[in-house]
Amino acid sequence: MRNRNATAYRFLAPYLLIFSVFWVWPIISSFLISFQATRTVPWRFAPGFNWGRLIGDPAFFNALKNTLLILVIQVPVMIALAMVMAVLLNSPLLKARGLYRFAFFAPVVVGEVAYSAVFRLMFSLDFGIVNKLLNSVGLPKIDWFSNVTPAMALIMIAVTWRWAGYNAIILLAGMQSIPEDVYEAATLDRVSKLKQFFYITLPLLKPVIVFCLVLSIIGTMQLFTEPFLITERGGPGGGTETLGLLLYRQGFRSLNFGYASAVAYTMAALAIAITLVQLWLTREKQ
Amino acid sequence: MATVTLNNVVKRFGAFEVVHGANIDIKDGEFVVFVGPSGCGKSTLLRMIAGLEDISGGEIAIGGKLVNDIEPADRGIAMVFQSYALYPHMSVEQNLSFGLRMTGNPKADTERRVKRAAEILRISELMDRRPKKLSGGQRQRVAIGRAIVREPQVFLFDEPLSNLDAELRVQMRVEISRLHKELGTTMIYVTHDQTEAMTLADRIVVLRAGHVEQIGRPLDLYDNPDNQFVAGFVGSPKMNFINGRVVGRNTRSVTVELAGQERTRIMQPLTGAAPEAGSKVIVGVRPEHFGGAGEGDTDLVVTIDVVEHLGGTSFLYARTANGEDVVIQRDAAKVPTTSEVTVSIRKSYLFDEKGLRLR
Repeated sequence: MRNRNATAYRFLAPYLLIFSVFWVWPIISSFLISFQATRTVPWRFAPGFNWGRLIGDPAFFNALKNTLLILVIQVPVMIALAMVMAVLLNSPLLKARGLYRFAFFAPVVVGEVAYSAVFRLMFSLDFGIVNKLLNSVGLPKIDWFSNVTPAMALIMIAVTWRWAGYNAIILLAGMQSIPEDVYEAATLDRVSKLKQFFYITLPLLKPVIVFCLVLSIIGTMQLFTEPFLITERGGPGGGTETLGLLLYRQGFRSLNFGYASAVAYTMAALAIAITLVQLWLTREKQ
Repeated sequence: MATVTLNNVVKRFGAFEVVHGANIDIKDGEFVVFVGPSGCGKSTLLRMIAGLEDISGGEIAIGGKLVNDIEPADRGIAMVFQSYALYPHMSVEQNLSFGLRMTGNPKADTERRVKRAAEILRISELMDRRPKKLSGGQRQRVAIGRAIVREPQVFLFDEPLSNLDAELRVQMRVEISRLHKELGTTMIYVTHDQTEAMTLADRIVVLRAGHVEQIGRPLDLYDNPDNQFVAGFVGSPKMNFINGRVVGRNTRSVTVELAGQERTRIMQPLTGAAPEAGSKVIVGVRPEHFGGAGEGDTDLVVTIDVVEHLGGTSFLYARTANGEDVVIQRDAAKVPTTSEVTVSIRKSYLFDEKGLRLR
């Protein structure tokens, strides 16, 4: 048996080596770096330097507030929207279902830079189609990029557009795994379609919804592309700066790797904590 | 309780017709079993009665009322599904009461119905459990309980025992039979298992490829099948079929010679038209209708391949001189010890080349 295990490990060794060097070691290394002052040469061990700064840094709390705001508003709206899309996609009345599934999933495979550029054009103050539509129905133009609230809304709209279809496809797969005869039994029990959705579909989809929520929370905690490309590096005036952007700014613009590592670990810890709370709240009661 | 009448019922999926004009009259309180091989349309027929499938042609009436365009919930039926179709996230009690709660049935009445169903099915101690914590038999009881609480006019069972092991199937068969006696409600039961059909039914409807082959009481079908299909389908082990040729006929009987055995002739009384001399026929013999040499109408030499001992009886798997397989039932004490034996045919059935019974 020991021989067989040794052979297996020899086969796994190339992968384990790459995994250790490029995955495990950076995780450990960045944790160690977070306890070092990295703006001095040479770096020196100073446990309170980065973590102490984190507690009192207004930029960190601004990024944290923005990230949590997006998390609290955008994630539930997106999951609700994804659920509606999944229900529509699952409807036997829908024609050309394959086309719609592709269309809803397509944003995920569109290049991030391309989609950000299109969003900047669409929401442009003078030339954007969104403002033209608002004008056409008698509403005033909105300067999406110069004011904090519209800029945050824009980030949320963009992220929702990009990921709602992806979540809808996951929810659809969950819906299709619910046996048809459960619904037939409910139909014979005179349970309306709406009640079937709330009392059968939703409870049976709970594990899939939780999965989507966890993925979305982790994704939002790491949010970077949209505030970087659409609202130009978290603008206006840091109004859309997220933790991911703060990390990037500290690590790769200010070359303050110690502080960036502390921010990275805070992001991971928050994602884990929020996910654990959510799993606990949605756990199956025995 | 209610009658169920199917009048020339047709089902098509697109251009493909799967049920070809079924006519069935089910009496009030009767236990009728639809039986047939996979794909014969028995479940489709049941689902049409339930309203879960549209009716492409013909009429279905429950309790004398045409239900073609009536919603499933308004037909006065309850259905037990093959896969149980229990709500996995609900307890047994919630599963039983769900339909009644959702439709605003008074709480006291819901509780009364659930309690009664639980008592009938002896599942009162399981009420707080979820389906995944139940055995197959217990799940099936809950599924039946969910049908009982609806207090339907007609119970529909769609192969309810096919997911259970052999022992549990026998046990649940008895339970369902007891339930029918206790409730007295009309029951329609679909199965591909002829043993279930024979043991449960007041009457059996044998289906093949969307056609009703024969309707009758279990022993009538067994003793007096209309055609070779019914003869072969009803009974276990199935009826043996041996090719033969008509060698003589008169107004009241035909003489048939078994293929490849010149001296083995059977005389069959016939009241209908007799086939021409020389025409091919099929002789059907049930395994228990073989006797020892000289005990029956004619003797037949067979070569035994395998003997299955089941305790009181044994089955001999043998071949005729013409190479046709036959199964012979014998008392365990009378199993021959030689491989080549002579058996007699005590009772036989005659079918024409198309498989229709010659009477």
